[in-house]
Parts: sequence; structure tokens; C-alpha cells
Amino acid sequence: MKNRVDPDLHRDFSKFGNIDVSTCMNCGNCTATCSLADETASFPRRDIHYLQVGLRDKLLQSADPWLCYYCGDCSESCPRDANPGEIMMAARRYLTSQYDWTGLAKRMYVSKAWEIGAIAFVGLIVAALFYFLHGPMVTGHVELNTFAPVEWVEFGDLIMAAILSVFLLSNAYRMLRFIMSGEQGLRLPISLYIKELPTIVTHFATQRRWRQCSADHSHWLRHFLLVSGYVTMLTLILVFLRWFQTDIVHPIWHPTRLLGYYATGVLLYATVAMMISRIKKSGEIHKFTEPSDWGFLILLFLTSLTGIAVHLFRIADWPLLTYYTYVIHLVIAVPMLIVEVPFGKWAHLLYRPLAVYLTNVKEKAKALPVKEEVKVAITA
Amino acid sequence: MTDRKIGVYICHCGGNISDYVDVKQIRDAVSRDDGVVIARTTMFACSDAAQEEMIDDIKTHQLDGLVVASCSPKLHLFTFRAVAERAGLNPYQYVQVNLREQDSWVHQHNIPEATQKGIRLVRAGLAKCVLSEPLSTMRIKTIPKVLIIGAGVAGLRAAASLADMGFAVYLIERSSKAGGMVAQWGKLFPHDRDGRALVADLHNEIKRRENITLFTSAELVEKSGSVGDFSIKIRVKEQEEISLNVGSIIVATGFDPYNPEPGEFGYGLEGVITLPQFKELLDESEGLLSYNGRRVRNITYIYCVGSRQEQTAERPNPNKYCSRYCCNAAVHSAICADALDAEVNQYHLYRDMRTYGKNELMYERAGRQGSVFVQYDESDPPLVEKTGDKLRVRVKDRLIGGEEIEIVPDLVVLVTGMVPRENQKLIDVLKLPVGRDGFFNEIHPKLRPVETVIDGVFIAGTSQGPKTLAESVASAMAAVAKSAALLMKGYVDLEPLIARVDQQRCIWCDACTDACPYGAIEKVSFEGKEIAGVIPSLCKGGGACVPVCPENALDVEGYTDKQITAMIDSMAGEVV
Repeated sequence: MKNRVDPDLHRDFSKFGNIDVSTCMNCGNCTATCSLADETASFPRRDIHYLQVGLRDKLLQSADPWLCYYCGDCSESCPRDANPGEIMMAARRYLTSQYDWTGLAKRMYVSKAWEIGAIAFVGLIVAALFYFLHGPMVTGHVELNTFAPVEWVEFGDLIMAAILSVFLLSNAYRMLRFIMSGEQGLRLPISLYIKELPTIVTHFATQRRWRQCSADHSHWLRHFLLVSGYVTMLTLILVFLRWFQTDIVHPIWHPTRLLGYYATGVLLYATVAMMISRIKKSGEIHKFTEPSDWGFLILLFLTSLTGIAVHLFRIADWPLLTYYTYVIHLVIAVPMLIVEVPFGKWAHLLYRPLAVYLTNVKEKAKALPVKEEVKVAITA
Repeated sequence: MTDRKIGVYICHCGGNISDYVDVKQIRDAVSRDDGVVIARTTMFACSDAAQEEMIDDIKTHQLDGLVVASCSPKLHLFTFRAVAERAGLNPYQYVQVNLREQDSWVHQHNIPEATQKGIRLVRAGLAKCVLSEPLSTMRIKTIPKVLIIGAGVAGLRAAASLADMGFAVYLIERSSKAGGMVAQWGKLFPHDRDGRALVADLHNEIKRRENITLFTSAELVEKSGSVGDFSIKIRVKEQEEISLNVGSIIVATGFDPYNPEPGEFGYGLEGVITLPQFKELLDESEGLLSYNGRRVRNITYIYCVGSRQEQTAERPNPNKYCSRYCCNAAVHSAICADALDAEVNQYHLYRDMRTYGKNELMYERAGRQGSVFVQYDESDPPLVEKTGDKLRVRVKDRLIGGEEIEIVPDLVVLVTGMVPRENQKLIDVLKLPVGRDGFFNEIHPKLRPVETVIDGVFIAGTSQGPKTLAESVASAMAAVAKSAALLMKGYVDLEPLIARVDQQRCIWCDACTDACPYGAIEKVSFEGKEIAGVIPSLCKGGGACVPVCPENALDVEGYTDKQITAMIDSMAGEVV
């Protein structure tokens, strides 16, 4: 296999973060202090070397960036202040852009105009749909399902989910192809792929690899709450919208209300806490912030905030305010999901568990007994 | 029976000797020997008190021979020669016996036998002393002129310094222009000083000094005489011969860049060039870097070409040494290339990065500017090939588990080292020893770094071995200091321990001239016949002539056949 050097890789790469890979002298302190690296995944040093030398293919085959959770020990121990943790972060942005076959991810990562433009574009479509298609605006009291019939909204949700899934899954498939292409000659039986599937679910739900970072689990906990709120809310609007968007106000103990409060509560708490961390630059993980990090947080925060507002206005029975806020809520939420999940930072919700899964599959495959004919081929 | 009056002193060396050798027993044994007037033991023979006691004894008893049995003559030969001299005894009638390194220290397990051996050693010294003759040093006047061979930076710099000290300097240069290698180069590491400008400045310095004569297209063709007074002949422009007299000679003939074999790392392919060629390309470039009309965007350097080679069947005489300057020059070139075009990508395939000392800063800078350093293993060197019009370099990258990577550069720069100049004629004329690596040899790399076995001939710069420019000039200054120290005094004293010809016996068979590595024997006439004559200033007392003489006509003073035989006899005799 040819590892052809691309001397311009580091130039391409530097657009994905405020980093300079040439600062690194390959000493390996980062890998030595990393709690997550091991013999099979000796990041960050290995991946930084790929970047310095210009080994684009090796980087594409590497699952390492997704196995890194930015504990920050590497950046703290780096004698050259090369910020290996942030280089790994930039590597995740770079890989997201490479997995994406549409090229949109790359444009949005390297250009603020593209990111804002894409979100604004989808937002405008949503706004236009409401402008032309909304139902009668009853002003006597709130009738949200007359203004925006739940069946229609549900239909729109599903279309959105379909679009999002097509892009995200096709990108994830490319990721799988890249990572597994590095293992030529390795026998990878389908049964192994199937047997390891639960890995994806556990790591998606718990992000438990992050807990190996250090004794302090506060970052993990905050993120875990955020994910739980996010998944709860997504389930409510995709599966239980008919019980969630109603014109009668449920009693306070109703599951949709309880779950809704929980979800928005943790989302607001986590996004605000993360934004404060980023402003204060507290800890290695929040020392560097790129536009793509802000976009993600601000949109999620605003979605939660407007969602709460719709709910409160409806209880207060202020019809117009409820309808306008509802439109604003969707004008923020829909582009956030369509743009950020398959093309932006949010894609990591699938890429991280997938990377752990594929790494496990590879390691298990290597441990398989070598087939007789392969042995013969090797000795011959 | 001898009529000599000899004093013998046996040293305890504070226990170093006396713990294992019974010094009193030795004293008692030799005190009754023929010629011994005084035999004493002493705690430290080298102490002031002991020296005074010896001087007193010599004067009181009118001794004509002195034996001190103590440590190695390397430590105290001159100490006790001085004692003899101060007491009015000829210093060459002093004999040192090594009881410490050759006896007590090596026979700690067997004290009785060590004492027996001590007695034999002292008796051998006595036997030598009995036959010793008074000798005197020979003083010759030195000529306050210096010949410098090679007008590179080392030679030019040495010439100016010697001239400032009042010596006349003849500076000869084989090529048609002064300046050597440096005159061909632009920016030099570490401070980007322009080599051509540097040489031009030095050349002006030379012209300003009236006591420097520069001969270009000139070669040394003959040398005779010896330290302090050499007669030399130089040939200028292949015809004119000029005879000169000088007191010392500095050899600063420089180096040649290693010229790779065809096919060595792709040498010969278009786009594969050596470091000096790349340097020229950089110096000539204005604006972006281009080679053969094409912009150069990717450069790959391969280090250690022609240096640190292993011996193989195809390469029986490898250059095993490190050329010192090349890592620095290559890294500096990378910085220069980056200054011309910051978009240029540079890969350095190295074995060990030896940007030592302050040059480490250049390595640091090149790295920060984006130079990529990939280490290769000498057993698996990079491969350079050409497919189509593309150069391809394949190398195993140690940092990713030895996996092969492929680079497609526009230019491959072979970081070539230094090799010794082709100088056979000069070596023959000067009879200078050359090391296995082909560079001139100093006497001692630490203690006598610019002196050679030929007294009055010094080496400087890269003629001695690979050096950076700063190191070359430093060694040139050292050679200047050694030359000046020799010539300032106005005279040199020559050791009398040299060969002596029995003029009656010698039949001039010429065997000794072939044996002598210093050219110290010449044909002279004596009472109407031709015989061998020793040139005292050239003879080192090496003794190579003695055993080859069929007539036994040769002897080395202080080590005559008679003395050696007597020493063996007394050593082999019964110990009483």
C-alpha cells in the first residue's frame, strides 16, 4: 500500500482550527500522559505525525480522533505548547468534512458565511412554509393545532428526519469505508459486525469512554445530561408529537409535561454552563473556541428557550405571541438539526460510537484464529 | 669494574610502591653493586626535600650518574633531569626506573616476586647508567617566516594573524584564486553572512599587509631542512620555481565535497542534486525557487550521503566519520529556501540530527517554519526513483511503525559531507601522516590538536577533518599560536637522543634511508668515502635505522646496543 505524501495537508488542515502542527516535535509526551490512548490507538502523537508528514490516507483510516475525548492532559503536558488536544479537535472537524460527500461540511467549517448562510437558508424555508401554509390564526384563545395542525407538523418532522438521516448515514458509511480500508488482508466476518452492534448503542447513550478521562467526571456528567435532554426532546417531537403539541393544557403530572420540563431544564442548564466555560476558557477543553463550537451551543440554547416560551405563552393563553414564538422556535430548531447533525459538530453523536464500534470489530478480527489457507499463503 | 659514581634512590611513592615492593630489600641488594656510591630509599622522590637531598649527594660525592626508581618517566623524567642539571650533572646521565606502573601496581598479589622483579629493574637501570654518556641539546636559529599552504578562509585568516605578529608569510594557493570553498557560497550559517563577501574582506586584509606574499596557481614541490629552518621550493603557474626559507609551515588545504556515485540515492537523475549544488541554486535564485525553469515547491533532503558509511563488499573503504557541517548547512538551506518562498514544502530524511551547540536554534526554526523531519534507519535507506517525469522517494517512517511513505518532490537534495582533498604530491613532499579516513593526522586530538609528527609543520582547518567554518578558523588560530610560539623565541633546542653513525664502519648501503620515515638520513662524504649522515634536526631517535644496518654502524644515543645488551644481561642475572 502506498502512503503517498500530500505536502499541502497541513495547509488544508490549518483552516479547521487555530493550530500549527509544525510546533510539535514528536516527543510523545501527549500519548504517554493520555488516559485513553493505548498500543493500538497511540494518539495524539501518531495522528499529529500524519498531519505533519501529509499522510492524508492514514488520517482518513484513523479512528483515533473520535476515540479522543479532549481530557486535556496532553495539552497540559506538551513541552512545546502545541495543543495536541485542540489538534485532535481540529482533526474531528477535518474528518467530518472528509466523510461528508456533499462538500457542505467543509465549506461550513472553513467559512463562517457558509455556516450562517446555510442555517439562514433552511430557516427561511421554514419561515416561508409557515407564511404561505399556516392555518387560521384564532385570536380569542390559543389554538396552536389550528394555526399549525399537528399532523402537518409531524409530517414535516418526518421529512426532516429523513433528510437528516440520509445525509448522516451516508456520511457515516463513508467513515466506515475509510476506517476499514486501512485493514487490507484482515478477515472481517459479518457476524463480528453484528455481534458488536450493542457497542454503538451503549456508547451513544452513555459516552462512557469519556469517564476514563480523569477522576473529575463533571464534564462528562454535564454532557450526559445534555444528551439525555436532547434525546428525550427528540423522542417527544418525533414519536409523541400528538401528545406533546396539544391545545388542552395537560395536568402538571402528565408525562409529556414532566419529560418536557426535564429535557428543556437540562438543555438550558448544560448549554448555559458550556457557554460560560467557553467564555471563561476554563480547562483545556474550553480553551479554544471556533465558530462551529458557538453555533452549536447558541442554536440549542435558543431552541430550548423558545420552546419554553411557546409553552409559557400558551399556558398564559396569549395566542399571537404563542404562534409567532412557535414559528421562531422551528425556524431555529429545524436548521439546527438539518445543518448541524449531518454536516456539523453534532455529527459526533454517531461518529464517536461508530469509531469505538469499528475499533472493537478490528481488534476482535485481529484476535481471530488465522484460517488455514491464509497461513499457507503467508508461508508460501 | 667501573669507575662510575652512581647514586640510587628507591621511592616509596607514599605506599604506592612500598606496600607491594620491599624497597629496603631493593636498596640493600643494589647498594653493594658495582659503581653504586649511595643507595637510599625515600618517601616521595619528587618532593622538594628529596630533590634537595639528591642535589646535595651529587655535589658531595661528585656523582656522575643518577638512578631514580619511582614512577613512569612520562610523569617525572624531566623533574629528575632538572635535578641532575641543578646539581651540575649532565641530565642525560640520569636514568629513571619505573617501579610503580611496571611493578607494584601490576603485582599486588605477589609481594616477594614483585620485590625480586624490582631488584632486576633497578639493576637494569644501573647497567644503562653505567654506560651513559654526557649529551647536549643542539640549538638552531629559527627563521621568522611562515609558509601557509592553501588560501581558503583558514589560510587567509592565519596569514593575517601571523603578519600582525611581525612574521613574513608566504601564502600559496593551488587554484587560480584565493578564497577556497567559502568563496563559492552565499549565505553561511548561522548568521547568514555572505561567503563571497567574507572572502573579499579577508582578501583585502591580506593586501593591506606588506609582509604577506600570495602566490596563486602555486604548489609546494620540495621541502628540506627542519623545524625553524626549512628550505622550500614552490612552483608557480607550472613553470617558475621559487626557493624560499621558512621557520614553520601551516597546511590548510581544505576538503572536497563528497561526490556521490552514479545512482547513489538517485544521483544522476534530473532533479537529484548535492548540497553544494543546491546552495548555488539558492544563491542564484531571485524570487521564487526554480530548477531548470520549473518552480520548486517540494524539496526532499537525504542526509548523511557520503558520511557515516558502513563497510560493505562494494564499499571497502567507507567514510565512517560524520562530516559535522552538513546537518547544519542543510537545515540552514531549508531556512533560506523558506525565505525565498514560504509555500515551499521541505522533507528532511535524516539519520541523526546533529545541529549541535548553537546550531540547534536553526533546527528549531526550520521545524517551526514547517520543515518535516523523518528519521530513517541506515539499514533501510530511502529509495529515489524516477517514473515518468516525477521523482519518487520512498522511505520507512519510524514514527509510524516503519511503514513506507512515498514523497513526490520536485528536487532531491543529497546532503553530502566532506572528503579529504586529493593531495598525494603534497603528502609526499611533506611526509605528513594521513589517517585511515584520508585527512591529515594531529599528534593528539585533545592536547596537541594542530601539531604533526613533523616538528614545525602544523595543520589547520578541514585538511585535518570535517569542520564548520568557525571551527576551521579556530584551528587556524591555534596553528598560528603554535607557529608564533616556535618562532618568537628565535631558536629551538633539539633533543640529543638521536641516531649516530659509526663513520668507520658505514659503507653507505642505503638501507637506513629507506627505513627512516622522517627522511633524516642523507649521504655525506667522510675521508674520501660515501657514508650516511644523520640530519639532527629531522631525526626523532625512532631507531628504525638501527636494526636494518648490516654493518652495525648505527646506534641511537641513550639507547645504544651496548646499553640495551647490558640491561638485558643484568636483568637476566641471578638476584643476590
